[in-house]
Amino acid sequence: MSTLAPHFRTVMVNTLPLEVLEHIFSSITTDKDRNSISLVSKTWNEAERCCRKNVFIGNCYAVSPSILIRRFPDIRSVNIKGKPHFADFDLVPEGWGAYFYPWVVTMATAYPFLEEIRLKRMVVCDESLELISKSFKNFKVLVLQSCEGFTTDGLAAIAANCRNLRELDLGESEVEDLSGHWLSHFPDSCTSLVSLNIACLASEVSFSALERLVARSPHLRTLRLNRAVSIEKLPKLLRHASQLVEFGTGSYSADTQADVSEVFVNVSQAFSGCNKLKGLSGFWEAAPAYFPTIYPVHSKLTSLNLSYATVEIPDLGKLISHCHNLQRLWVLDYVEDSGLEEIANSCKELQELRVFPSDPFAPGPNVSLTEQGLVAVSVGCPKLQSVLYFCRQMTNDALVTIARNRPYMIRFRLCIIEPQTPDYSTLEPLDTGFGAIVQHCKELRRLSLSGLLTDRVFEYIGVHAKKLEMLSLAFAGDSDLGLHYVLSGCESLRKLEIRDCPFGDEALLANAAKLETMRSLWMSNCSVSFEACKLLAQKLPGLNVEVIDERGHPDTRPESCPVEKLYVYRTVSGRRFDTPGFVWIIDEDPSSTPYSNGNRSLASA
Amino acid sequence: MMELQLGLALCGNSAKGYNLDDFKIGSFEILDVQDENNVQVLQTLPLLVWDKDDADGHNESQRKDGDENGMVGWPPVNALRKKLCHQSRHRPYGGVMNYVTVKNGGVGGGGRGSNCYKYVKVKMEGIGIARKIDLSSFQSYGTLTDTLISMFGKSRENGDVYKLTYQDKEGDWLLAGDVPWRTFVGSVQRLKLIRDEDY
Repeated sequence: MSTLAPHFRTVMVNTLPLEVLEHIFSSITTDKDRNSISLVSKTWNEAERCCRKNVFIGNCYAVSPSILIRRFPDIRSVNIKGKPHFADFDLVPEGWGAYFYPWVVTMATAYPFLEEIRLKRMVVCDESLELISKSFKNFKVLVLQSCEGFTTDGLAAIAANCRNLRELDLGESEVEDLSGHWLSHFPDSCTSLVSLNIACLASEVSFSALERLVARSPHLRTLRLNRAVSIEKLPKLLRHASQLVEFGTGSYSADTQADVSEVFVNVSQAFSGCNKLKGLSGFWEAAPAYFPTIYPVHSKLTSLNLSYATVEIPDLGKLISHCHNLQRLWVLDYVEDSGLEEIANSCKELQELRVFPSDPFAPGPNVSLTEQGLVAVSVGCPKLQSVLYFCRQMTNDALVTIARNRPYMIRFRLCIIEPQTPDYSTLEPLDTGFGAIVQHCKELRRLSLSGLLTDRVFEYIGVHAKKLEMLSLAFAGDSDLGLHYVLSGCESLRKLEIRDCPFGDEALLANAAKLETMRSLWMSNCSVSFEACKLLAQKLPGLNVEVIDERGHPDTRPESCPVEKLYVYRTVSGRRFDTPGFVWIIDEDPSSTPYSNGNRSLASA
Repeated sequence: MMELQLGLALCGNSAKGYNLDDFKIGSFEILDVQDENNVQVLQTLPLLVWDKDDADGHNESQRKDGDENGMVGWPPVNALRKKLCHQSRHRPYGGVMNYVTVKNGGVGGGGRGSNCYKYVKVKMEGIGIARKIDLSSFQSYGTLTDTLISMFGKSRENGDVYKLTYQDKEGDWLLAGDVPWRTFVGSVQRLKLIRDEDY
């Protein structure tokens, strides 16, 4: 707004007709800007809400479907997130919540023109999918990232009824695979597909149906196959889809009967026909012999995901280093330090690196990947800004080097596999190293810590990490002081997730008000007492304080007893009523029963 | 600067039937300990516990599958990745048997044979504590059974003869030795030595 030319300031903005305001606002698209606009005045709020088309709901329980439709009458695209992030690691028990059904039931009547639904970590049932397919005539985009609760029958409904479907992305969802025939439900008249991601499906889809679908989708840009599609089948598909930009292979190994050299030649040729290919993924069970088939495209690749290639490929680093334009690389630790060094020398456009563990449960290192690999990439790749790195050893010096070389780091997630591992050369905690990260990387938005850490690292974080939005902690810290530093110092903090840290009542209660400025706080296996949870709920009625405890009624234990898990989030829709037996939501009214399970459950998932 | 003096302790037994034994892994008592370098060191109870109950499989249902060291959700890899890790381990030698390794002299795939683990639990009848062994370090039934017997501290000379049984992927318990060694390694989930009554 401050960029308006001076003469505009003399116009009384409030005299502009609503339609004009709406027209102006329609060019403002980011949620943040939209939210800001809506706070300026009642008029602006009114204009903004009437013309808002996209809504992002970071926590499905922060607001309710009825509040949503009351405020925004004409939404075309929703993006909703459900379970907390630690649900990815089995820390949120099954049945906790995040059901999509109540949302779709409400939106089916309120938003007949809804076009896009994007969900993350929600429970979606087949009925929901059927309702989507029948209620929204112009439905175009369905993205289900890390969701669960539906079967291939639900997918069949989407395929059959969504005439203008552009995008079907199943992310890393858990789908009950009843039959591969769901894909055949796409009518012959469906030619609008732009993106199809079925990589998470376990069983075979009808290949002929898939081939025909691809052949009649001239706009297809993204295709991610599942593991059941073997490499010999790829040339057939790629022949029909040479315009692909992103491609996920299936299993990259062939039948024992197959003629290896013939398959090799066919697949290489198929890739050479794909002039626009920029991203590759898949590669399950990638046989080393087939890897050079990607040579025709590797120099154009900007994104490469080899993190499912669980077979060790010799000279993996050397292979990747031919991808000079690579911006994003996901790989297993088979790449080793030597591989990362080669990548550091050649992939100068690299922005994001993720190194996953090939064997996270091995008692010791199974590959030669240490802190050296990460240091090499940090030093050699000037654009590196996002890191996820699993390893088994680290030093403060390495972290300091990384911090000094990459001051524009935005995401830094380090997982040293054995909890509380110190700097292996000095046996000291890694406080100094991570301290350097937050001190030098002033733009840091996301941080995950690991290794041996005392309260000192939290002091550094509280002082320096002013732009930090998400922090993940495990087995770290000495006392409540650690938590206090974070809650009182990190101004931009939105999400805090903690497991197995000695943080308890004092820091939480002293910083209770902070929680209303955040999206959510997760604490499991810490030292927060039930009594403190009740106090928190009383102090801050704008929060839902959920105690998740599978040991039974909190009353069967002393009030000073630590709760198993605590999930606190701000909300405008009050407590929810779809909680399972092991979740207690503490009501803020001390005169009523201090906590209660939901007895009413909303419609089934 | 806030100075927090805390004396956190595990809850004592209370009248309402609460039992210290109910505490799962991860609860701990915190002591302030200064080591020689004057660094405050956190002393905790061990995070990894191998308890007798688990050896009998009673606590199996409390564990999420894939968390082989007993800690739920650690390391933080998602279910898809854990499944992949299991699958690549349970295939003998990384599962590249069928691949033609063109120029690489058989190195390809799970290539570092010595690092392709296959840990299975072993129980011996009459002994409460189970053990874990890495099957990939054996080449035959003979070496396996010899090692197992000596591991449990009993020998054939004592008069007790044991049979080796195993649970396969379908959950059935079978007598070991009928199928080729490699097939066995590929399908075995756990082992049990039972006394051979016929001797």
